[in-house]
Amino acid sequence: MNNDHLIELRHLQKSFGPQKVLRDVVLEIRKGETMVIIGTSGGGKSVILKHCIGLLQPDDGEVVVDGKVISSKNKIDVKTIRKRMGMLFQGAALFDSMNVGENIKFAVREHEKQHSEADLDRIVAETLHMINLNPDFRFKMPSELSGGMKKRLGLARAIALKPEILLYDEPTTGLDPITSDVINDLIIDMQVKLGATNIVVTHDMVSAYKIADRIAMLLDGRIIFVGTPEETRATSNPYVQQFINGQRKLLAEAD
Amino acid sequence: MPTDNRSRTSGSALALILDAAGGQFLRLLALLWEGLSHKIGRIGEVILLLLRILKRLPWFFMNPSLTLEQFIRIGVSSLPLIIVISFFIGAVSAVQAEYQFRGFVPSNYLGTAVCKLVIIESGPVLTALVLAGRVGSAIAAQIGTMKEKEELDAMTVLDLDPLRYLALPRLLAGIFVFPLLVIISDFLSIVGGWIITTLVLKVTTATYVFGLRFLFQPYDVLTSMIKAMVFGGIVVLMGYYHGLNAGPGAKGVGQASMKSVVASCMLILIVDFLIVYIAY
Ligand SMILES: Nc1ncnc2c1ncn2[C@@H]1O[C@H](COP(=O)(O)OP(=O)(O)OP(=O)(O)O)[C@@H](O)[C@H]1O
Ligand SMILES: [Mg+2]
Repeated sequence: MNNDHLIELRHLQKSFGPQKVLRDVVLEIRKGETMVIIGTSGGGKSVILKHCIGLLQPDDGEVVVDGKVISSKNKIDVKTIRKRMGMLFQGAALFDSMNVGENIKFAVREHEKQHSEADLDRIVAETLHMINLNPDFRFKMPSELSGGMKKRLGLARAIALKPEILLYDEPTTGLDPITSDVINDLIIDMQVKLGATNIVVTHDMVSAYKIADRIAMLLDGRIIFVGTPEETRATSNPYVQQFINGQRKLLAEAD
Repeated sequence: MPTDNRSRTSGSALALILDAAGGQFLRLLALLWEGLSHKIGRIGEVILLLLRILKRLPWFFMNPSLTLEQFIRIGVSSLPLIIVISFFIGAVSAVQAEYQFRGFVPSNYLGTAVCKLVIIESGPVLTALVLAGRVGSAIAAQIGTMKEKEELDAMTVLDLDPLRYLALPRLLAGIFVFPLLVIISDFLSIVGGWIITTLVLKVTTATYVFGLRFLFQPYDVLTSMIKAMVFGGIVVLMGYYHGLNAGPGAKGVGQASMKSVVASCMLILIVDFLIVYIAY
């Protein structure tokens, strides 16, 4: 095994009933890199992220994180690895019964007992600042936030525990270009300043080019391309070209 | 030859009918078996869920406030319903007892009838049935919604075990708040009976109280409290289980809620029978 690889997806297969979502997903993510996964809607990108953090188990194949197979029945391994991971859900998945501040504080309070309530409030203020949300929002309920704010709060909650591995499911979808760029910078900061490994699912090619060390494309349940942003732009792979240029038809099929 | 032929036809017709009947019967058996094994599987799942929650019992001491919060929430939300229903149950049983007793049994025993009925059966059972609708369905809807919106997954990812933070506090609160609610219900039913007997049926308070104390057994109260605790556990467990297994969307959550009420009600009546059978 290559020690460079923090996360390895080895020939993942996953079906929901008759629907085969992942056919044979092979992908290696290096320690400290930002891997962006692109692919058509409904293609199984969220499903891949959920496999990486043990929320879903593959029908076949293995998920290996830091040398440990987390797709096995051994719950202990998953739990210890999970402590080092954070995830932003596509739908934010905020705790609806708690206000913004509590959403961020809850896990920190439970896992880092050394903090006083004042410390926690400071952490909330800092985290809100990082995602460009006004600290006055901490008493609002999730239902009172806009879609983009929810997304950012979901991100705040994930980064408050300072995980080493961060999974982002469409972090910039529904955000204005300026806020999107704040989030892009934040993702880069997590990597550069905290040394985190990022896996980002996105449709936003501007964001992908800015943050990615490498871009992987998922098509028909397989990773059909992996390359740096430059390689991605320059590739002759028709499917990648079709996707990044937003064409309805493959170039080969056009006219 | 024709006879032969006829007999053969009738024979094969009979065989056909028998065959068809047998086939239908077998199919019915298969269907029953399928339904039964499905139900047994679900019972297994529920028991497994219960064990997994109970395994987290030590965590209660880490966050007792979570349980207290649920205790208060369940208690407060159920009280208005309990008050109205209990009062009228007492009133109805007094009126019915008077009507049934008329000419046979002296009105001294009106209080006895009300008291026995309320403490042994109607207090715990009706309270539990009503709370299955009020508390169990709310838990199913809440957990179902949290599952749908991936809040449960988000908790798991943050290493906040949903069984520890959601299920355990609710289960403990259910087990301990139900007896309290049943005591309140018993008391109000007896008061309801008293108001009707004194005001409408023109029986003196002293007579009613005499009846209450006659044949009163502390053992009845004990079994009633045990019932209440078991019913509380059933209602919460069914709510949580059906919430966890809710189908997608608003429809799934609605159905989970409905199923939790149906399952709780059936279990409450079955378990009531078992407890009564063992205790008396
Ligand atoms: N828990 C589940 N049960 C059943 N089917 C599921 C489940 N999760 C995902 N699917 C199915 O798997 C397919 C891929 O879903 P997924 O959410 O991963 O797509 P995606 O690539 O993230 O799409 P999008 O860009 O729209 O978010 C979908 O068709 C979806 O219906
Ligand atoms: Mg998705």
